[in-house]
Amino acid sequence: MADAPKKSFADKLQSLNKPTLFLILVLVTSIPLFFQIDVPNKPDPPAIALFTELMQIPDNSTVLIQSDWTLSTRGESEGQFKAVMRILMRRHIKACLFTLADPQAPQVARDAIRELNEEQVAHNLPTYDEWKDWVHIGFFPVAEATSVAMVSDLRKAFAGRKSTPPGGTSTDVFQSPVMRSVHSLKDIPLYILMTASATTTVALQRLGGQVPLAFTVTGVMGPETQVYFDSHQIVGLSKGLKGVYDLETLMKTGTTLPDGTRIEGFPGMIDLDRGARYMPALHGALTLLILAVVIGNVGMFLSRRKTS
Amino acid sequence: MSQLLNYDFWKLTAGVILTVGLYTVLYKENKFYRVCEHIFIGLAVGYAIVALWTETMKQSWWDKMVGSAPEHGAQIGTPGYWAYVMLLPIGFLGYLVFSRKYNWMSRIPIGIILGLWAGQQPKAWWTQYGPQIAGTIKPIFPTTMQAFRPSTAVLNPQIPADKLEITRIDSQVYWSQAITNIIFVFTVVAVLSYFLFSFDFKSRFMKFMTTSGRWLLMIGFGAIFGSTVMMRFTLLIDRMYFIWIDWLKHAVLHWPGG
Repeated sequence: MADAPKKSFADKLQSLNKPTLFLILVLVTSIPLFFQIDVPNKPDPPAIALFTELMQIPDNSTVLIQSDWTLSTRGESEGQFKAVMRILMRRHIKACLFTLADPQAPQVARDAIRELNEEQVAHNLPTYDEWKDWVHIGFFPVAEATSVAMVSDLRKAFAGRKSTPPGGTSTDVFQSPVMRSVHSLKDIPLYILMTASATTTVALQRLGGQVPLAFTVTGVMGPETQVYFDSHQIVGLSKGLKGVYDLETLMKTGTTLPDGTRIEGFPGMIDLDRGARYMPALHGALTLLILAVVIGNVGMFLSRRKTS
Repeated sequence: MSQLLNYDFWKLTAGVILTVGLYTVLYKENKFYRVCEHIFIGLAVGYAIVALWTETMKQSWWDKMVGSAPEHGAQIGTPGYWAYVMLLPIGFLGYLVFSRKYNWMSRIPIGIILGLWAGQQPKAWWTQYGPQIAGTIKPIFPTTMQAFRPSTAVLNPQIPADKLEITRIDSQVYWSQAITNIIFVFTVVAVLSYFLFSFDFKSRFMKFMTTSGRWLLMIGFGAIFGSTVMMRFTLLIDRMYFIWIDWLKHAVLHWPGG
């Protein structure tokens, strides 16, 4: 049996061993997680706008949060959810949560709020309590119909939905301090949609112009959603891990608006979380990707030059 | 021993085993991967069915239909609206799609949904794309010789004179903005030209526009691909965080810190 032809250097560059590459990727994405590495950051305008909107919500008002994300996009969505909820908690803004996309989403959101409350207790800070500060009214299976119903009559759209007061039984959500004074979308200063799916389109189509909209989306959805921020259809936007890191940075440093207005953050509190922890690993992974692309192209260039 | 009886520890450990199992497909297709995949799908479907009842059907349909007894000291309860029972057969008609004889009946609920959806679409389309079209109309000629918008940080918007000055500054089109707008408008026109497939363009100008449109589309797709790759990496990093920090560092070794 004849020996296989020996691979040239150019061929080797174009056919790197895949398991080896995967192993390097695992190392590159794992090692930075054990160290605290500060990555410099300049927040993007859409994230600054989202932060500004969150910080300018009137005290004690209620925001609607359409929390459509599940654990499949935990890496990005949980960071966004926790950053937004931290701001709301610290500003004593009430939140009515629901989902129009996935029956798994309500429990995922409840678990994330429980983790935030455990963190608050550990630091002797006030907790964000169900019924008093937030309610989750569950899953609505048809996003289009529910959104139209919300515009038409918010109370009818959410009729029959319940939440549990401390030590009590399941009670109509409109008796809660969160929803007691909410009668229509006009009473809502901000509608925040946290999603990894196309429910952004439904919200834009059915709720556009009816209530100020702000989105937190995954990196994949970033470019397609940016256009709605540029056309002022949404008032704020957080895109992927960069969006998470932007919000965390803004919570730490605050921001100054173009007109000179200063918006302070929450220095000294737990501001840096998933965004800050994952950013160094993401930089490592992207560097590896760029290196792999360069090596493959150099190999192809050498191979073509040899052939010609 | 106490750790072995800890529910959270076993929950995390099961998560780690399944995560590793799903990633083994990167080496090659194997039975361990298949088992993990089927467990994952089974859990997701089972959870979704239960959650659909507890999060939706019970509150939105069942509780409204049967009503409720007095609660929290109230004198009267909520009456049941038994007409809601009529929704059940309409919903079940959808499942007749599996019957050869009666599958025509499945078109009734589908028709209702399609009718509702189609009726909303003209307004929905305009609400989504109207502001997009309006946003495409941008000034491309500068109204001042200044290159950039001057800073208004020293001005106080509470003072009327300063507020007027901020309004004046914001109303100008600066050279940098004009150039940005020209690139934007050119991109829109070039990309739209690319999609004019009904004509065979002979003019050099139109050929230039369609070629530019194709290149600009490619640049756009490249940006989207870059964002997609970044997201996939983030999901991998999150799984690594789950394995090394949530499980190994905290649950197994009980090391402090984030």
